[in-house]
Amino acid sequence: MRLLVVEDEPRIAELLRSALGRAGFVADTVATCADARATLALNPYDATILDLGLPDGDGLAVIGEARRKGNSIPILVLTARDAIEDRVCGLDTGADDYLIKPFAMSELIARTKALLRRPGGALGTMLRAGNISFDTIGRDVSVGNMLLALPRRETAILEHLMRRLGRVVPKAVLEEKLYGMDDELESNAIPVHVHHLRHKLVDGGATAEIHTVRGVGYLLAENKP
Amino acid sequence: MKPMSLHSLQLRLAVQLAILYAVATAVAAAILIYQAYDTAETLGERDLNLRAADLARYAVPGPNGPRLDLPPQLAAAYQSGSTDIFAVRAADGRVLAASPPGFGEVVAKWPLPSDEPSYFSLSDFGPASQAYHGLSVTLESAAGPIAVAVARAKGADVLASAVLREFIMDAAWVVPLLVVVTVGIGILVIRRGLRPVREISDIAARIGPAATHIRLSDKDLPAEITPLVAAVNRALDRLEQGFAVQRKFTANAAHELRTPLAIITAMLDAMEGNGELTKLRSDVARMNRIVEQLLRVARLDAVALDVSSSVDLNDVASEVVEALAPWALAQDRMIAFAGPEGPVAIKGNKHAIGDAIRNLVENAVMHSPPRGEVAVSVAQAGRVSVLDRGPGIPSEHRELIFERFWRGKSAASNGAGLGLAIVREIMNAHRGSIRVEPGPTGGASFTLCFAADAHIREARTVEPVEASALTA
Repeated sequence: MRLLVVEDEPRIAELLRSALGRAGFVADTVATCADARATLALNPYDATILDLGLPDGDGLAVIGEARRKGNSIPILVLTARDAIEDRVCGLDTGADDYLIKPFAMSELIARTKALLRRPGGALGTMLRAGNISFDTIGRDVSVGNMLLALPRRETAILEHLMRRLGRVVPKAVLEEKLYGMDDELESNAIPVHVHHLRHKLVDGGATAEIHTVRGVGYLLAENKP
Repeated sequence: MKPMSLHSLQLRLAVQLAILYAVATAVAAAILIYQAYDTAETLGERDLNLRAADLARYAVPGPNGPRLDLPPQLAAAYQSGSTDIFAVRAADGRVLAASPPGFGEVVAKWPLPSDEPSYFSLSDFGPASQAYHGLSVTLESAAGPIAVAVARAKGADVLASAVLREFIMDAAWVVPLLVVVTVGIGILVIRRGLRPVREISDIAARIGPAATHIRLSDKDLPAEITPLVAAVNRALDRLEQGFAVQRKFTANAAHELRTPLAIITAMLDAMEGNGELTKLRSDVARMNRIVEQLLRVARLDAVALDVSSSVDLNDVASEVVEALAPWALAQDRMIAFAGPEGPVAIKGNKHAIGDAIRNLVENAVMHSPPRGEVAVSVAQAGRVSVLDRGPGIPSEHRELIFERFWRGKSAASNGAGLGLAIVREIMNAHRGSIRVEPGPTGGASFTLCFAADAHIREARTVEPVEASALTA
């Protein structure tokens, strides 16, 4: 998978490229807005990691332009925290996610993978978490080599949890996703489904577990080795 | 109205005008009395001269030298008991006539006067032991030169006290009235003159790190105060520059420190290694956190928060929980959120409030035992509480923990001791408060208290100002 890294600090750009390389990505690095525009226009990248403070302008401008041209490439923004406060998050401009500097490389890779796991993303067809794999086309779930038979709604919940692996999926989001599937969604429907799903995964020997964040939602996390 | 201070211009004016009037009144009275005495004296001397001349007219030549032939009315006027006395001597010193006779005896011992009047005073003369003032002069008469001495009992005091009484009755009563009226006018003028000063005081009260661009207007100001206002404005210019420099420094420092830290962090992440590397990673993580906090503090000091947007506490708190949950789970701690249905709206700064809650949650997670749960809850009244299952905060430390760079002995945290100081700064900027108390089942419970409705809060704070402006 090919990523574009827009970062003007050469040492960081270098580190990003090698870390992403170890994670199985091929990363091209550019240092200016102009180069970013030109490279994006020419090459079909799977995702872009973009530093906002660039020598020849604001990274947000690059995002805005790309989106106006109909480029829907997933964009992860790197920024300092006070910069987020000064602008309105960049997410409104069309960024898909942002990371606050300084960040841990593992977090950057996790976020990048999460972006690629979105429907239509480069990792969007075959989702993986620990030894769980989810084929979003065949809608088959397997743990290790064993196929796991799941009801429709549990499958849908697992899909969302896997697409946002390691991050909290608010309960409201799950309710929204399931709304179309049930004529009437009972108030405790989600907890019940999650409860069943969790047990099936544990019983199946999955190396990723569903955690409950009471009052907010659920998250799927790979077990610590 | 608030009590007048000793430094009040109005009070000083009143006191000094009152003193001025008292002194002026006293001086006027003194001058009047002196004048009264003076006039009385001059009148008395004129009178004495006239009377001496009068007496000399009745000196007629007789067979045994000159003699005094007083008409009966005049003689009666000089009867004993009268305040006027006289003695007439011939050129040879013989007393021609005297009333009372005792005066003649006194005068007989004196040398004859010249034709220029000479004045004399008698004390303890006569049956009433009165003091007399008189003149002695040699005058030409029908019977040749004769020496006349006339005197009058000192009764001019009567005149003077009469004058003084008149003065007090007719003029002096005006003085207190004048004092009141003048002080009143003075105070009115000062009040009017100082109203622009009060107005610029109100403007000045709004100047702070957040609003360094405000300048005081010298419109309608008394000319005496304009230089002060100009000086204050120049001081504000310098302050604004100072703030700008600090803001710039903060931004630069942020950039300069973050980049090398990011490089080190990434390098360490990329390295494969033993336990030493893990320790190094946690050291760098701590350093990252300290730098973030220092910059945060510098930023809070340099730039006041814009706390004017509408914020849903429920939203902010649940987002923080959502963001920190993966990290908490990685530390083997649990985290839970509870909030009311629907938004809890306050006026504030979303990012700053998020930071405050994040700080509290991070502390709580770090102080919780493994598998312990950190509970974040939002109350409709505009409160956010973070409860941990840790050892709690000893009561003697409950104020100290909010001090900058304060760190507990247990030092389970890996920060610089700035987190809670930042939280308190943020709450101060929101005119809210933070309190810490023991949790219901142990641990510590931190609560951020916001004013539930910013509009009501604003109305409350504005009202008293208006009231005092009306009564001022």
